Amino acid sequence: MTELTFIAQLGIYAMMFVVLAAAVAAVTLRNLFHCALALAGVLIGVAGMYLAMHAEFLAMVQILIYVGAVMTLIIFAIMLTQRLGAGDVAQNNKQSLFGAVAAAGFVVTLGGILWKTPWPVKEEAVTSSFSASDLGESLMTTYVLPFEIIAIVLFAVLIGAIVVARKDAPKGAEQ
Amino acid sequence: MSAIDSIPFFIPEILLLIGAFAVLFADFFVTNKKLIGITGLVILVATACLARLPAEPQALFSGFFQLDAFTHFFRYAALGIVGVTILTSLSYARMPKAYQSEYYSLFLFMAFGLILMSAATNLLMIFLAVEFVSIVSYLLVGFLKDDPGSKEASAKYLLFGSLASAIMLFGMSLLFGATGSLDLDVIRAQLAGSGFADLGLISLMLILVGLGFKISMAPFHMWAPDVYQGAPTPVTAFLTVGPKALGFAVLIRVLAGSFDHLYSHWSSLIFVLSILTMTIGNVVAIAQNNIKRLLAYSSIAQAGYILMGIVAFSDTGLRAVLIYLIAYAFTNLGAFVVVIAVSNRFQSDELESYSGLGRRAPLLAASLTIFLLSLAGMPPFAGFIGKFYVFTSALEAGFVSIAVVAALNSAVAAYYYFRVIRQMYLVPASDEDPISPSFSLALALCLMLIGTIALGIFPGPLLGFISQIVPL
Amino acid sequence: MIIPLEHILMFSTLLFAIGVYGTLVRRNLIGILISIELILNAVNVNLVAFSRTTALSPDTGQIFTFFVIALAAAAAAVGLAIVLALYRTSRTIFTD
Repeated sequence: MTELTFIAQLGIYAMMFVVLAAAVAAVTLRNLFHCALALAGVLIGVAGMYLAMHAEFLAMVQILIYVGAVMTLIIFAIMLTQRLGAGDVAQNNKQSLFGAVAAAGFVVTLGGILWKTPWPVKEEAVTSSFSASDLGESLMTTYVLPFEIIAIVLFAVLIGAIVVARKDAPKGAEQ
Repeated sequence: MSAIDSIPFFIPEILLLIGAFAVLFADFFVTNKKLIGITGLVILVATACLARLPAEPQALFSGFFQLDAFTHFFRYAALGIVGVTILTSLSYARMPKAYQSEYYSLFLFMAFGLILMSAATNLLMIFLAVEFVSIVSYLLVGFLKDDPGSKEASAKYLLFGSLASAIMLFGMSLLFGATGSLDLDVIRAQLAGSGFADLGLISLMLILVGLGFKISMAPFHMWAPDVYQGAPTPVTAFLTVGPKALGFAVLIRVLAGSFDHLYSHWSSLIFVLSILTMTIGNVVAIAQNNIKRLLAYSSIAQAGYILMGIVAFSDTGLRAVLIYLIAYAFTNLGAFVVVIAVSNRFQSDELESYSGLGRRAPLLAASLTIFLLSLAGMPPFAGFIGKFYVFTSALEAGFVSIAVVAALNSAVAAYYYFRVIRQMYLVPASDEDPISPSFSLALALCLMLIGTIALGIFPGPLLGFISQIVPL
Repeated sequence: MIIPLEHILMFSTLLFAIGVYGTLVRRNLIGILISIELILNAVNVNLVAFSRTTALSPDTGQIFTFFVIALAAAAAAVGLAIVLALYRTSRTIFTD
């Protein structure tokens, strides 16, 4: 059993490393389409992390929505707004070094604080099982207000996005 | 309280939602789009009439909507601000003709989102409400057709806003991890335990990034001038008061609800940020020649003054914040009504178009003078009452230096406010045609004037209401 | 949990920092949106990790994650709508 656990741990650490490498690729590559593909890699890797943390339904949702819908949207937008031959325009502005230093400093500070904090790990949280039907029940009873509100948000956003992105109607259609 | 039992308390908001949908679908049946806008106003008034304050604070919907005096206060504020914005939009010359019902409908949804922001005592609801208001704002900023400035402003607003929200969310996730819960009360109880001070502070700083963006606090204010300039002017008027006031509401909830025992740690941070905000806002405003940018920097500086009340964090301080927000709402909205009236006539927001306004439109010029004097803090206008209470609270709490800096800043601000007044009265106009604002603009102007002057002379009733809200 | 909580937190902090770096240095609007998605994913990893270890009730973190995913999708949709509108009016999506 311990060998299996060790292999599982090794696999998860390898996945974390791949996700971080893909994330660095997503912010540094010059060709925007490659960045989008790197982002898809990050999203799939994060879904794998959810599986490692026993959140199976969430992993499925991540792949369906993030990799399925949001990535499609991003790639659509890239296709519609890029001339794909123009891959060698500089993608990063002059503040790259300052940004990298600032980000590194932030990681060191926050990482130090997070390492030292006495996280109150609870045994029942670690061993509890939480299935999709429990999730559904929670959403419908305790969390019903946020659930309804997100529906309204999505509706309002849909209407607004259509208005903002729409080509103007031809002259004769104005009222 | 479960969902079914909460519905009777939630009826005003449900009416607002049904109204938003009705306004949207009325587009199919009604050809006169202004009627749709007026319907929107009627719905807002009806919602305000139905709003009731229960005897005890109620935690509706299993704790996701806290109905107490604080929420009730901001309900009226939100409905009023959106109402005045719709009133001024009715006669905005550059309104896109084909999408008016979507515009009014989005504003009604926005009003609902603002009320949610004031009632949120749970990190999930805070995030949801803040994002709701933000995303609808990004859309409203980009509403002008074929105007690259509007789309660029919208893009800039979206990028800054999404980044700020994402950073705030990271802070919220750390807070959730340390305390195991999303409720502000439970978080306060758990954070008081040992070993969490560092984590509490850093998550507060991350949350301040997101909330500071909403209230245009420095150094997260840089989006404001470009966004305010590019947006349609009624939307600008709304953005300078609506999300800012509700952003302060959320800030008060978070600070008072979870971080009050860490006050000694974060008070100096907010102290510095307050001074930075008011100074940057006032100093950069001096050089502005575009009235929208000038008012944008002025509103950044006003956020700095309001933060003084938060630094003081006493009962007086929080009451000062609330009364300043109402005074500022009346004043700033009024100023923008005049800006819309002038830009309807001249299609320009540069200060040159204001020359000779004293002769051409004496009532408009006089109103703008009153609003600018109120922003500068002159008695007997509402701005004086706000500044008076904020200064008093800072001095009472022992923060003398910040009061001195604020006083110096007010003097600097008076310079650029008087520049506009001078332009209106002492610079001769290029032509002498009178400007007559339309009925809805005139009505909005009257309401804001009444509010500014009445609040300056009779602040008593409002103060009485506010002293029921604080202590929280 | 096979992996200790602190390791997952280090991972998500690194992902967060990479995302923030991306938003500061990218010139292209869509590039900035991609970086913001990285930040939101780091937050989600945090939330799920905490809901599995320190949360008082096991559903809170995962449900919060759902809402973050939904709002991130909404924000991405709005962002891309604005990018399209901007491209149509000014033929460029570079931020400088």
